[in-house]
Amino acid sequence: MKSTFRGGVHPRERKELSEGAALRVFDAKGEMVFPLAQHIGKPAKPVVKRGDAVLVGQLIAEADGFVSANIICSCSGKVKAVEKRRTISGAMLESIVIENDGLYNKKEGMGEKVEEPDLSKEGILAKVKEAGIVGLGGAGFPTAVKLAPRDAAAIKYVIANGAECEPYLTCNDQLMQKYAPEIVEGLEITLKLFPNAVGVIAIERNKPKAIEAMKKAAEGKEKIQVLDLPTKYPQGGERSLIQVVAEVDFPTSKLPADAGCIVDNVGTLYAVQRAVMYNEPLFSHVMTVSGDAVKNPANLIVRDGTSFREIMEECGGLKDGLALKKAICGGPMMGLTLSSLDIPIHKTTNGLLLWAEDPLEKAEIQMTACLHCGRCTTVCPQGLMPQMMAEAAEHGDMERYETKLYGLDCIACGSCTYICPAKRPLTQTFKQVKAEILAAKRAAAAGGKK
Amino acid sequence: MSQMMLNLSAGPQTRDKWTTQFIMIMVVVALLPATIVGIAVNGVYAGLIVLSSVLTAFLTEFLYDKITGRPDTWKDGSAVVTGLLLALSLSPSTPLYAPILGSIFAILVVKCAFGGLGKNFINPALAARCFLLLSFGSSMTIFKVDGVAMATPLAELSAGRAVNVTDMFLGTGGGVIGASILALLVGGLVLWVMDIIHGQIWISIIVAFTLFMGLFGGQGFDPAYLAAQLCGGGVIMGAFFMATDYTTSPVSRLGQTVYGVMIGVLGALFRVFGNAADSFSYSIIIANLFTPLIETYIIPKPYAYRKSALDKMAGKEKVPFTKKIPKPVFVLAAITLLAGLALSGVFSMTEDTIAEQKRAENAASYQAVLPEAANFKFSSDIDKMIEQMAADVYGGGSFGKAHINAAAMGVDASGNPVGYVVSATSGDGMEGNVTLTVGLDMDGKILGIAFTELNETPGLGMKADEPAFKDQFTGKAEQQLKVVKGGASASNEIDSISGATITSRAVVNAVNAGLDFFHNVLKGGTWFE
Repeated sequence: MKSTFRGGVHPRERKELSEGAALRVFDAKGEMVFPLAQHIGKPAKPVVKRGDAVLVGQLIAEADGFVSANIICSCSGKVKAVEKRRTISGAMLESIVIENDGLYNKKEGMGEKVEEPDLSKEGILAKVKEAGIVGLGGAGFPTAVKLAPRDAAAIKYVIANGAECEPYLTCNDQLMQKYAPEIVEGLEITLKLFPNAVGVIAIERNKPKAIEAMKKAAEGKEKIQVLDLPTKYPQGGERSLIQVVAEVDFPTSKLPADAGCIVDNVGTLYAVQRAVMYNEPLFSHVMTVSGDAVKNPANLIVRDGTSFREIMEECGGLKDGLALKKAICGGPMMGLTLSSLDIPIHKTTNGLLLWAEDPLEKAEIQMTACLHCGRCTTVCPQGLMPQMMAEAAEHGDMERYETKLYGLDCIACGSCTYICPAKRPLTQTFKQVKAEILAAKRAAAAGGKK
Repeated sequence: MSQMMLNLSAGPQTRDKWTTQFIMIMVVVALLPATIVGIAVNGVYAGLIVLSSVLTAFLTEFLYDKITGRPDTWKDGSAVVTGLLLALSLSPSTPLYAPILGSIFAILVVKCAFGGLGKNFINPALAARCFLLLSFGSSMTIFKVDGVAMATPLAELSAGRAVNVTDMFLGTGGGVIGASILALLVGGLVLWVMDIIHGQIWISIIVAFTLFMGLFGGQGFDPAYLAAQLCGGGVIMGAFFMATDYTTSPVSRLGQTVYGVMIGVLGALFRVFGNAADSFSYSIIIANLFTPLIETYIIPKPYAYRKSALDKMAGKEKVPFTKKIPKPVFVLAAITLLAGLALSGVFSMTEDTIAEQKRAENAASYQAVLPEAANFKFSSDIDKMIEQMAADVYGGGSFGKAHINAAAMGVDASGNPVGYVVSATSGDGMEGNVTLTVGLDMDGKILGIAFTELNETPGLGMKADEPAFKDQFTGKAEQQLKVVKGGASASNEIDSISGATITSRAVVNAVNAGLDFFHNVLKGGTWFE
């Protein structure tokens, strides 16, 4: 194992705002909205209709096809509508809207300890699939698919990702402190699927309490070790972790499983444990509410479908005299800005940042032409040449961009944009170019079929 | 609740504190020690040069922005860096119009005309320096100490004389305003530690330069010699502050190494085989021009596509370390070697042609100083003797860095000897060599002198070729002559050209070498029979 990955940046952490706030449960009062597409893959298919009564833990939309995920109701009440609603990305997407009765009546048997859990491979995978678990690190890849690679015997490491390298976010820190044994159990359950694998719990050193708790929980477990890592973004990227743990670099055309690794967020492993041991599907998760503008920064266990506005209000709303300028879903490095707070959270939403100041306004003024200083090339965790990529993109030289510069291997971590003294929109350009190249390829492939 | 207008933007939503302006300010701060030492050593006038250069550069960019209506790029501070770098690379006695014109040229022509910051293809400060050198010649490189022009330490060094390396290191030994190597190193290393400039560039420049000077400089790896070479001629300023200019250097680490080696090798090559005092500036500019080429072909592969990573993914065994030396190292070494060989090949080929041309020029000068002669006779023994002496300074240094190039006897139409001609060179000129032919009668009286190589300061040293100075030699029948300042009275005295003592001394040294050769070798001999 290596001590750290290559490249990376050290953005201001700001974790002190919320790291002292213990996890607490927030039960929303208002309507709950469940977009059918909140994971990678095909949108789920609704299995309820307007007027149906629903319970906590009830399936309301089922996975459509192999790469898709079930959606579980997080409250009790009535289905108000199945209609297009504004979502985090800004797009209007088909969603199930539930009138929340505030009673939180549970589906029978849900959340009770299973007497004889089925720990066979098939049993575990079936539970994970049924529970609608997706990767909670942010990407939302269906976990049941991830846990069933072509060759399970080739997996050498199952990495529990507790790095939480995004600034501000502290919810996984709190989760690890409070539910360490559960996470370790979730990892053990996952390890049953991979006969030749060991478990590695990776945590950044800025979370000493979490490291301590996890070490204690993992004590005596032969196949599990806790690995503390230097604090550096994007340490929690799966490629960064694999670079450290397995010392392998692999192109983006390959999956972690090809490199002998499975990377799961600690929140995902907790969800796996709840699903297998307590028959509880995924309808709630941890989330940090922070930022300079919020009155009481917090770490919450929130129910899926809750609106950002209710979450903000739960945290005391805005500080007096401050006007909200920017709201971010997730961390400041890879999170998305919200056009409004009247939008529901997804299963994967791990943060809400409320800012009265927008650092990008200042950055816009400071923007100059590219200096060719090369700082972007130093921080790129993939070893790409962002400066050259930006130049090729500017010149429209897609050939050079793709084949000479391997531009499609950008993981959009934002390190280059962050470090750029000229404040150039590098990552943003790369995301756009990648989308254009892939679109052109799809168009060419479709044309070829005719 | 009223609808809030929230800012939307693509991530990341936060930025590092460093800005373009901050980097430029840091470069200026890093140049401050050298600036302060330069002004302290050279006086207020040097400060005036710095001020006018910086102000002009800044104002030029400011006005350009305002007039063309382009974004306010003057705010980034890069113009200040350019102005300061230019000032520090000028002589402290440069007339004030030079930094002003130079800064305007640097900003307007080299930078703005090509699109401004990040778009110029050669270093603006260096380009301006070369522009000034080409436009105003040596008035840019006269280095005065206490009002008297003196040769640069590097010229002294190539003349085979010892130089005071400590003075050069501290910046108290004359030279450009930013001559203090110590101060430059302090600033440069700070920038390096802050990761503003890259070691790949400056380290490879210094290593390549030192190695090349040691191998081909003719004095081996003599530490004093190498130290003097490193401390002189802008190597340190170039390596740390000029070559590291972001825009005109490659971005990739490997590209930077190639670029650095190129500058080091070219700089040393020019210094060993060339004559120009400013060779290091030219080597950086040439490497600047190669940067786009380097950037096109040297692109490091992402980690996942490097051979070791691909092998690992494919489950192959690890390659032993000895086989791990990257191919570029061999390629680079081969290229450097080939380039060195090719250049020295070109040099030795052209060397013969140059010699032939010189002989033809010389023939004309023989006739000029010995008009009575109808023909000139050479002696193979004398030729051989001169060839053998060529490696050393003639007269063991009594005539400075003098050499005898050729000698011939003039004969009249009927074959009777009428006198001798001797071609001699002094390497002590302001700008290098002064070569002349002395015509002597059979008794050693000077009949005249004619220059075959004279590249001195226009308006000063070049006056050597005017009758007022040159004709003083005619009719002198002395064993040796000497230079005096104003009012030559004795018959062995020659009046110095006002303001060009160095040139005057060089001319007299060459004539004296010729006289010495006549009296001790030619006179009374039967070489030409």
